[in-house]
Amino acid sequence: MTVLALLAALPCLFWTQPVETAAELEAAGIVRVCAPPAQADAWRAAGFSVVPLDEAGRAERQMATTPGILVQADRASATRSPWIDANGWRFRRAPAQRYDYQVRAGKAALAAAEAFAYGVDASLTIDPADLAELGRMQAFLAQLPASDLKEVADLGVVDAGGAIMGEVLNLLTRRNLLFRLVPATSAEFPLTIRIGPGGYSLEEAADPSAFALTVRRKLTDGKRSLRLFGSEAVIARLTADGGRARLHLLNYGGREIEGLRVRLRGEYRGAEAQVAGPGRVALTDYVVADGATEFSLPRLPVYGVVDLTAGR
Amino acid sequence: MDRRSFVRLLAAAPLARTAGADTPPKVSVVSRYAPAAVPGMPGPFPGRVVAVHSERSVDIVTSAADAEVVREMMARGMRQLTGAATTEDAWRRFFEPQDVVGIKVNCGGHPWVVSDHGLVAETIRQLMAVGIPAENVCIYERFQNQMDNVNYAPHVPAGVKIVAAESANRRVDNRGYDPATYVEADLFGEEDTRSNMMRLVSETLTKVINIPNVKDHGATGATGCLKNIAYGSFSNVARTHHNGVSHTRTFVGTLASVEPLRSRTVLQIMDGLRGVWHAGPFARTRKYVFYPRKLFFGTDPVAIDRLLLDIIDDKRKEMGAISIHDRSPRYLKVDDGRARDADPNVNIIIREPGHVEYAASLGLGIADLAKIEVEAVEV
Repeated sequence: MTVLALLAALPCLFWTQPVETAAELEAAGIVRVCAPPAQADAWRAAGFSVVPLDEAGRAERQMATTPGILVQADRASATRSPWIDANGWRFRRAPAQRYDYQVRAGKAALAAAEAFAYGVDASLTIDPADLAELGRMQAFLAQLPASDLKEVADLGVVDAGGAIMGEVLNLLTRRNLLFRLVPATSAEFPLTIRIGPGGYSLEEAADPSAFALTVRRKLTDGKRSLRLFGSEAVIARLTADGGRARLHLLNYGGREIEGLRVRLRGEYRGAEAQVAGPGRVALTDYVVADGATEFSLPRLPVYGVVDLTAGR
Repeated sequence: MDRRSFVRLLAAAPLARTAGADTPPKVSVVSRYAPAAVPGMPGPFPGRVVAVHSERSVDIVTSAADAEVVREMMARGMRQLTGAATTEDAWRRFFEPQDVVGIKVNCGGHPWVVSDHGLVAETIRQLMAVGIPAENVCIYERFQNQMDNVNYAPHVPAGVKIVAAESANRRVDNRGYDPATYVEADLFGEEDTRSNMMRLVSETLTKVINIPNVKDHGATGATGCLKNIAYGSFSNVARTHHNGVSHTRTFVGTLASVEPLRSRTVLQIMDGLRGVWHAGPFARTRKYVFYPRKLFFGTDPVAIDRLLLDIIDDKRKEMGAISIHDRSPRYLKVDDGRARDADPNVNIIIREPGHVEYAASLGLGIADLAKIEVEAVEV
């Protein structure tokens, strides 16, 4: 994949200020911007990867929520898990859609990583104080090897649309229950989730957190392709094909996690991990046994990628 | 109904889930360590407790302990427990010069009820008298910020290590835990179903001394030897009690029985110089602090904790508070710590003092009062 193609996979900074501000962005490490069409050529000439986008175009994009953790005393969940705002379910539901983030301060890097991890086209309007943070994340994402592996799924989901189904997808994603959207019950999976006649009732799905737990227990943890230990604030995306796998790890918790433990079904004897911030890191306590692979990631500030291979 | 309003409804109806704790959760224990020929718990003295009391041990006005009296209480207690002629011989019964010894303190009751500085210092002095270098002694807890608050360092010899697994109770530091030694259980549908043993315990220490306090506990009824060693040596344990439901009845003993923790914990010294009879395990004010002025010695954590249940319950009765055995929903204000702190007749979870009996069923010691031999010593 060319450098241009790699840059094209990056979420862009929505930036309406004139090209005279290029030095400010360059100093921050920003490499890709969404700029008004009339200024696109000037930004390109200044050395940036550019998506022509004006306010009207941005408004047409589907809004993504600021990712992160919410701590609010009047909100409880069925478990001790923190409340997380994440967009993975939205991206999975409509991967070809274009998205726009209006990112709260301090979350620009996470938003960029989230969009990248799910491979969606996203623009980000950020707090100017986060420019350098976003620049560092863009630089990290740009140097990652390209990957075109397939989504790993343990269950199928028939998405009939609607808000409740959206929340079901959200909670399945949040709980790292790997699914694939399918048009009808699929023999490929031991479990297909469908709401409606012959499937689960709307009432059963009305509590999406409890419903996700029902699904998890029906699937059983032992049959899950992915388990995470040591945090309730990380959402993963796993792709694989023919003895290779890529694991994206997004930390929504706002605090660096040390020693996140990962368990994958399948025996992967080679692994390379790159983490935004620390860079390339060595996985620790690596074990391949009983048809599974386990390792610990020493550090995870916001986003990390682990590329695995079956052979060493 | 949107996602937000749904969650608020959940918050309003937590009692709907309180039935779950009656069924013990399925647990899976993963450990590569074999038990010792005689595991430290219950050790060589099952069912035996030496209770040493001294009116002079603590000034109840200032809450300060008299280090000399504490030292004498320890010497008498250890000699009584072992039958040794000298204090040094008593300690040699448990420790050898080549041991690496962990002292599991309790810092959660800061500032009023924590493992006494003088008691910890005297323990280290005796270990060094056996020939163990200061560098091979570790004071440990799970959270560094708690250790910092209590600050044992000025009271102990240079070289003694002060070790915590996590910087604070934030669930972000896992590197201090052993990924290969854990208990796995899905208690409330939490994603992280593992509680891992501290690496210090599994990979470094050869022996552990447990120094808990006499404390009330909202989830377990009381917290002493068993909970201090179990919940203080494993990660991710707060998940066992939530929304009014507590799985502590089975989980405390289950963790304590995991090897190598069970085999290496060879001595129990319960610090009952001070205690807290309500709102534990915390003691942020003196409101519920009391002064048993006792130290308990043994190798059987179950026997000591069985006595502890009565100590806490008797004190609560004396103060007009409900029993730790009360399971009535009438006194339950789920997870309302403020109400619990204000009123000793408020429970925030149904307490599970049965964790002591359950631990006995796992072979960790003797819970039957009729079979527990208490030897009282007065200093």
